[in-house]
Amino acid sequence: MKEKKTRTLSEPFRIKMVEPIRITTEEYREEALQRSGYNPFLLHSDDVFIDLLTDSGTGAMSDRQWAGMMIGDESYAGAKSWLHLESVVKELTGMPHILPTHQGRAAERILYGILGGKGKIFISNTHFDTTRANIEFTGATAIDVIADVATNPEIDFPFKGNIDTDKVKDLIKQHGALNIAAIIMTITNNSSGGQPVSLANLKEVRKICEENKLLLVIDGCRIAENSYFIKHREAGYEEKSYEEIAKETLRLADAFVMSAKKDGLVNIGGLLTLRDEKLSRQCTNLLIISEGFTTYGGLAGRDMEAMAIGLKEVFDPDYLHYRIRSTAYLGEHLRAKGVPVVWPIGGHAVYIDAKKLYATIPVHQYPGQALVCDLFTLGGIRCVEVGSVMFGKYDKQGTLIPAKNELVRLAIPRRTYTQSHIDYVVDVFDDLLELKEKNKGYKIVYEPPFLRHFTAQFEPL
Amino acid sequence: MAKKILKRSWAEPYKMKMVELLKMTSKAQRFKAIREAGYNTFLLKSDDVYIDLLTDSGTNAMSDRQWAGLMLGDEAYAGSKSYYHLEEAIHNYYGYKYIIPTHQGRGAENILSQILIKKGDIIPGNMYFTTTRLHQELAGGKFEDIIIDQAHDPRSEFPFKGNVNLNKLETLVKKYSAKRIPYVSIATNVNMAGGQPISIKNLRELRAYTKKNGIRIIHDMTRVAENAYFIQQREKGYADKSIKEIVKEICSFTDGATMSAKKDALVNIGGFMATNEWDVFEEARNLVVVYEGLHTYGGLAGRDMEAIAIGIGESLSDQHQRARVGQVEYLGHRMEGYGVPIVKPIGGHGVFVDAKAFLPQLTQDEFPAQTLAAEIYIDSGVRTMERGMVSAGRKANGKNYYPKLELVRFTIPRRVYTQAHMDVVAESVAAVYERRTKIKGLSMTYEPKYLRFFQARFEPLPNNI
Repeated sequence: MKEKKTRTLSEPFRIKMVEPIRITTEEYREEALQRSGYNPFLLHSDDVFIDLLTDSGTGAMSDRQWAGMMIGDESYAGAKSWLHLESVVKELTGMPHILPTHQGRAAERILYGILGGKGKIFISNTHFDTTRANIEFTGATAIDVIADVATNPEIDFPFKGNIDTDKVKDLIKQHGALNIAAIIMTITNNSSGGQPVSLANLKEVRKICEENKLLLVIDGCRIAENSYFIKHREAGYEEKSYEEIAKETLRLADAFVMSAKKDGLVNIGGLLTLRDEKLSRQCTNLLIISEGFTTYGGLAGRDMEAMAIGLKEVFDPDYLHYRIRSTAYLGEHLRAKGVPVVWPIGGHAVYIDAKKLYATIPVHQYPGQALVCDLFTLGGIRCVEVGSVMFGKYDKQGTLIPAKNELVRLAIPRRTYTQSHIDYVVDVFDDLLELKEKNKGYKIVYEPPFLRHFTAQFEPL
Repeated sequence: MAKKILKRSWAEPYKMKMVELLKMTSKAQRFKAIREAGYNTFLLKSDDVYIDLLTDSGTNAMSDRQWAGLMLGDEAYAGSKSYYHLEEAIHNYYGYKYIIPTHQGRGAENILSQILIKKGDIIPGNMYFTTTRLHQELAGGKFEDIIIDQAHDPRSEFPFKGNVNLNKLETLVKKYSAKRIPYVSIATNVNMAGGQPISIKNLRELRAYTKKNGIRIIHDMTRVAENAYFIQQREKGYADKSIKEIVKEICSFTDGATMSAKKDALVNIGGFMATNEWDVFEEARNLVVVYEGLHTYGGLAGRDMEAIAIGIGESLSDQHQRARVGQVEYLGHRMEGYGVPIVKPIGGHGVFVDAKAFLPQLTQDEFPAQTLAAEIYIDSGVRTMERGMVSAGRKANGKNYYPKLELVRFTIPRRVYTQAHMDVVAESVAAVYERRTKIKGLSMTYEPKYLRFFQARFEPLPNNI
């Protein structure tokens, strides 16, 4: 890895608009946590000091994007802002059919609704929570085949987001190519720690898809961050620009779904782009029913304008360098303190190994949830469990089948927090390391049938 | 005193603070543009349109306070302040207990239909609306029209053409039993009837009947404030009540609602589902995560929830509604002055021209409303929408619906166009009316599976233009 350690990296921008945030007392936060059933998704944002729940839709837009908001064309059909967005996305993806959606999960629901159905199988490096829900909602099965190195948080490997192509081939043999709905490559691989996927791996997958006539879908909400890692870690790409690498990546795909709330640098919006005309017509029919007409897809014109600008800004080399390095800054400082983090640090978040940190709490008492709750109580920091609360299932007897890892994600919103904020987060861990033994874990007292982590309620043990 | 004020102009209770430049085009450019768009105004580029009366949905001008709200929007993924602000506005102004934001109205319709409708259910309503009926059908239900007959007669001057005929409802209850009717779908105002209101008296009677039979009323409330304005102007006993009071009374007769906030609530994007039942809410909260987003943002940016919360309050001002409906009536009266056949009484959100009476030489299979919309665009760059044969689509057996109303809708975005713009529109319609006998129809060359009016393509029948 050739990432150079340099002097303090300051942001390639300055602040033009601020939003006040509030520091509360520990007693107050304890009460707030109890009121929300020990689920940070149910906290009022007003009670949170530093919000690392997600990097989705929480970033700060540039002054140019805000100016774009003002010139957004709100015409229902054929708006100028749509034509602007369409031309930017066509250039990036090289695909002829571009469908706007209100956010990423709508793009997924439309595409997987058509490709899925009972008996169908989707194979992915890792399906994200909403992706899995959308697929299972259609009656299809979602299988993760992450490379073995990725399940070990401590191994240093440059492309821990890669899919295990041998296992993919086995699965195709086992189930028959006709029953495989698609191969979905999530880049970067969020659930395994924001880890990148190499172009070499993607090219292998492309080859498998061609041999078996399978559809290759790229879920690329963090495509720019993935391009950064390729340029700095994969041989042969040192001289290419981030945008060129992204274009090369997308040329391998048959379909592209994107939540623009990440690397689109906007607060709302998504995309579905396709090569095949017939599939695009089917998707368009569903788009109009549930999202909106083809030239706005459920978005305000101004949001399409902001997305068109954001999709260009995100490939700026200074921005991407700042983005990846500032995320690593948090991870490196936590690691120096002895906090077990997923290594190497990913693009958009730092993932902590809660099973290791809270070694006394068994998985069915959700060590990740314990870390999440302690971070909020001690510092007003909000983050999310990515372990058995999010991905756990029950067997027929109702016993928990735990997730592979018990991780907690500290996601960094883009262009939002300063280094002092991050230093504060690091400092809170001093208290946490001292007090963590007091936490005995949690039990679930309410859970819905899908995506339970969003609205489940807990009680401390 | 009140009467005297009504005689003055409906001058707007606002002035312009931000403007958006428009492009003027030549007739040759417009002819080329409509041909490229397959004679479907939906497929025109907005850049080629001078005055855009395609829809009043999401095309509103926000106030300076709403723009300020956009800046204050809290983009937290969970528990955003803007969500709580929106929740409070809906409680206060509409009175519903539980709310779920959605990215727009059809998102709310989708979720509500899936929760309440079982296969084989019947959903009576005061006239169909395109997306509403489709979501009911996709959930396994069947829509039945129970609007009064006058609603289908463009010349009837009945003041409440959105009313329900209770006898029609009773027939359905007898035929299918109340158990198979999960709810009655009530729109305020009724869009497809020409923006026509339902009266409080009718709603009260409907409530009494449904209560007796254990049937819910679900309120499609996208233009409830405009409906309330008509009640204030036309219904006995309501002249001295405020729009705010009337809106709250309307909502009190219903058990839940879906709303596209892109109309009355004066925003460009957003909607919500509301209910007074905890069980329905709980199910909706689980379902919204799959389709829209977490239940405290529902697929909306925080700033958009903020703008809706402010817009709801602004939409319930008496002065705002008087100017809003006043402008629509102004356009309608000018068209009438030229002898153009329009739906009477003039509706709340637009003027609906009767294309069958305008172009009597065309059969309905020659798409008179689609034809007229294209002709008006070519004349002046004014974009309107077909609401007839093309919008009605096909029945389950594949046969075309032949709706009684074959209309061209001139929908007025809120707070966007001036009186001079309205004059240009009326003069353009008059010019097309003068040469109406020379106009030939269209044939459809491409037809998509659902909601065909959005994307269908046409070409002129031989000898046209």
